[in-house]
Amino acid sequence: MKPWLHGRRPGDRRVRVERPHAQFFRYAGPGTLVAREAASAPRTRTGRFLRDFRHVLLGRALSIHEEIEERLTKKKALAIFSSDAISSSAYATEEILRVLVLGGTAALFLSLPVAIAIAILLAVVSTSYRQIGYVYPNGGGAYAVARANFPTIFALIAAGSLLVDYIMTVAVSTTSAVEQVISAVPTWNDWRVEIGVVAVLLIMVGNLRGLRESGNIFALPTYLFVGSALLMIGIGLMKVLGGEGVPPPNPVPGQPDPLEPLGILLLLRAFAGGSVALTGVEAIANGVPAFKPPEPRNAATTLTAMAILLAVLFIGITFVADSFGIVPIDFPATRTVISQVAAVSFGENTVAFYLFQAFTALILFLAANTSYAAFPRLGAILAHDGYMPRVFSFRGDRLAFTSGIIVLSAVAITLIVLFQGDTHALIPLYSVGVFISFTISQAGMVKHWIREQGSKWRLKLGINGLGMILTGTVAIVVFLAKAPTSLLVAVIIPLLVLMMLFIHRQYEASARSLKVRDDIVIPPPRREERVIVPVPGITRAVVQAVNVGRSIAPDIRAVLISDEPEAAAKIRDRWEKQIPDVPLVIVESPYRALVGPLLAYLDVLTQQWPDDREEPITFVVIPEYVARSWWERILYNQSANRLRAALIGRPHTVVVNVPYRPEDVHDVDGAEVIPQTQPRPS
Amino acid sequence: MGEGKPAFKKAALALNGGPTDELVVTLGCQLAMKSGAELVAIHVIEVDWSHELSDELTEENEAASAVLDQAEGIAEHFKVKISGDLLQAREVAAALVDEAIEIGADAIILGLPYRKRFGGDFAIGGTIPYVFQNAPCQVVVAREPMPSAPRVEMVPPAVKIATPVGTGSSAGPSGGLSGWSLRNRSRGNGRKNEEH
Repeated sequence: MKPWLHGRRPGDRRVRVERPHAQFFRYAGPGTLVAREAASAPRTRTGRFLRDFRHVLLGRALSIHEEIEERLTKKKALAIFSSDAISSSAYATEEILRVLVLGGTAALFLSLPVAIAIAILLAVVSTSYRQIGYVYPNGGGAYAVARANFPTIFALIAAGSLLVDYIMTVAVSTTSAVEQVISAVPTWNDWRVEIGVVAVLLIMVGNLRGLRESGNIFALPTYLFVGSALLMIGIGLMKVLGGEGVPPPNPVPGQPDPLEPLGILLLLRAFAGGSVALTGVEAIANGVPAFKPPEPRNAATTLTAMAILLAVLFIGITFVADSFGIVPIDFPATRTVISQVAAVSFGENTVAFYLFQAFTALILFLAANTSYAAFPRLGAILAHDGYMPRVFSFRGDRLAFTSGIIVLSAVAITLIVLFQGDTHALIPLYSVGVFISFTISQAGMVKHWIREQGSKWRLKLGINGLGMILTGTVAIVVFLAKAPTSLLVAVIIPLLVLMMLFIHRQYEASARSLKVRDDIVIPPPRREERVIVPVPGITRAVVQAVNVGRSIAPDIRAVLISDEPEAAAKIRDRWEKQIPDVPLVIVESPYRALVGPLLAYLDVLTQQWPDDREEPITFVVIPEYVARSWWERILYNQSANRLRAALIGRPHTVVVNVPYRPEDVHDVDGAEVIPQTQPRPS
Repeated sequence: MGEGKPAFKKAALALNGGPTDELVVTLGCQLAMKSGAELVAIHVIEVDWSHELSDELTEENEAASAVLDQAEGIAEHFKVKISGDLLQAREVAAALVDEAIEIGADAIILGLPYRKRFGGDFAIGGTIPYVFQNAPCQVVVAREPMPSAPRVEMVPPAVKIATPVGTGSSAGPSGGLSGWSLRNRSRGNGRKNEEH
């Protein structure tokens, strides 16, 4: 009925036309509807409660049209993409000193040469990655480079290494951030694992809410850290020049000479530990599309700026630590090297000291957050290529790759708990994966230059070749020097590769079996159909199921599995009176089984089918009572569920559930009443 | 529509499945974006005397509903709140003004198409003059660009107003809105569909 509306003049009447679809759909073109938010709204009370809870926790669902793609300026990109790399300066020096301290105080003076060697490596790697940015402006992650240049297996090794890298970035950055907090507030040492876990959970929730990395809030911690760290190094240098430093100790007899075999091993291990400073260098090359045009050039400039900043911070912190004889302290509570450098420069327990610790913790948490953009994105790419479960490519209410975010958090939390929040224990796992992906991407670039050549290709080939040799060597050194913990990576990455290959094979197989030739016209079905309705008796639900079965095919029969012959006979009498046109087969089941006899009955039907005719499709129509609440779900349909589970996958069989709702009464109401036979007078 | 003052709080967009619809919706959205105003897209199906006013005109209703839906699609891009209002009436102009009054609109935005035939002219029709004379609120007319007028690319939603408009008069060129066609291809049964 259309509502009538009156206008200002007597004749000006109009009617409003109802648009029932408008609440749920919007017409977008011929034969195309766009679902509105209301169409996805849950219809049950529990569903609505869960939706509201999710909205409170994660925010309202976003439409795909609300996706924001913001291009970054160089200044902003430097802060956002470099937080991972720059923050590693907070623990790289410490990793060198933790090894060198084993060689005695005399070995500590080698920390600066080791840091300089790592800075040279950084220069080579960052120069190599500049070229990747130019060649792969759509984001040249190691996976993409390897996929373009090598057989799939290398791309998968790169992907596995990157996945490990991203997980370790979350775990290591978080534990390191917690250690900075503990260095400022030692009484929290007992809660380090709990603080780390809560931090990861908070970052996870933030990312599930669709946290955008492009906001200024993410740029701030990086610049605060860089500014305060440069100030700290400057003050430290002035103090060293003013003679406040600790003079280098004389070698103590009996301690290993750094140049002896044992000492060389120590040196290599120190180098391997410090090379963690390079983690995160690839982030800019991976994120080239996020830059403002000209993207590759801006990315290259930003990458150079980042490498210079990182080198200055790393060498500066190492120099000041070395000058003041600083070594890591673990007891009674953790005192990180960088916190001790801050204490020397700013003064112990000063406001500047606490601020610096806060900035360091902030940039480390931010570094952890960068993996939340990269890991789910790589997971989605792998899922798209068929190497990860497809669920990784689905985006949640807030347009975030929910599965990737949750898996990343779960694995990182597991690592934090397993390693008791100890950054030093986690780092061997970190560096190996990073250098494997570095090596593969550099090798991919070498192959690229040999194949494509172009202007100055020999120089470019040389740069990437040097990068490949250096990062490959470091990968081996790190792998050997950090054994046995690093051996875990040698197990995890091949396992990941095997898993991805297995998933791909499964998807390929299912795609092959589901493929429909595109050059044929699909004919209508030719096979015969028959209907089986398993029944427990005569109820409204059964009547409805039988009626649905009648609409599918005329060859229909009801099957009653019973362990009470007398009761079954009574049901047959009633059945023949009330539903005479549908035969009832009673299968007595003395062993009280339900599913087995029904399956056996279906098998017998199949065997009885003439060999010269194609086997029919058997529709098993199962009546079900619609459960209104959770306790009704326990009370009803248990047999139906068992039947359905047993029938799924049976060849030539289709399972049809016919739900019965109390309001579906029309199937029996108004039916003809059977005339009652009058008892004869005795 | 002075500076710093919202152009309107609620505007009625007059749509008819014609070439100016997307112009009207885009203009409405651009103005509404600034002030957070609400839009109501109105499509009036003119029912001739061979039908009852309340007859089910299925084909016309579907086509008109599609026009309103597509207007909502454009508004979604601009993140502007919009609702659709489908009416049947004997006279479009009167229904439009009456509906605008009923929903409390403080502006009506209409489109003025340009006809290329016979040397080219603006087809002002009867609706626009009626609305000018009877609407108790401001009336904005967005004219269809003439073939010689420069076309301006519009990139939703960060567009700036590219359509100079006149209050109570026609003015200015408009942007190219390729891919956002609101044209009603299935206009049916020779029913009148005067330019709003």
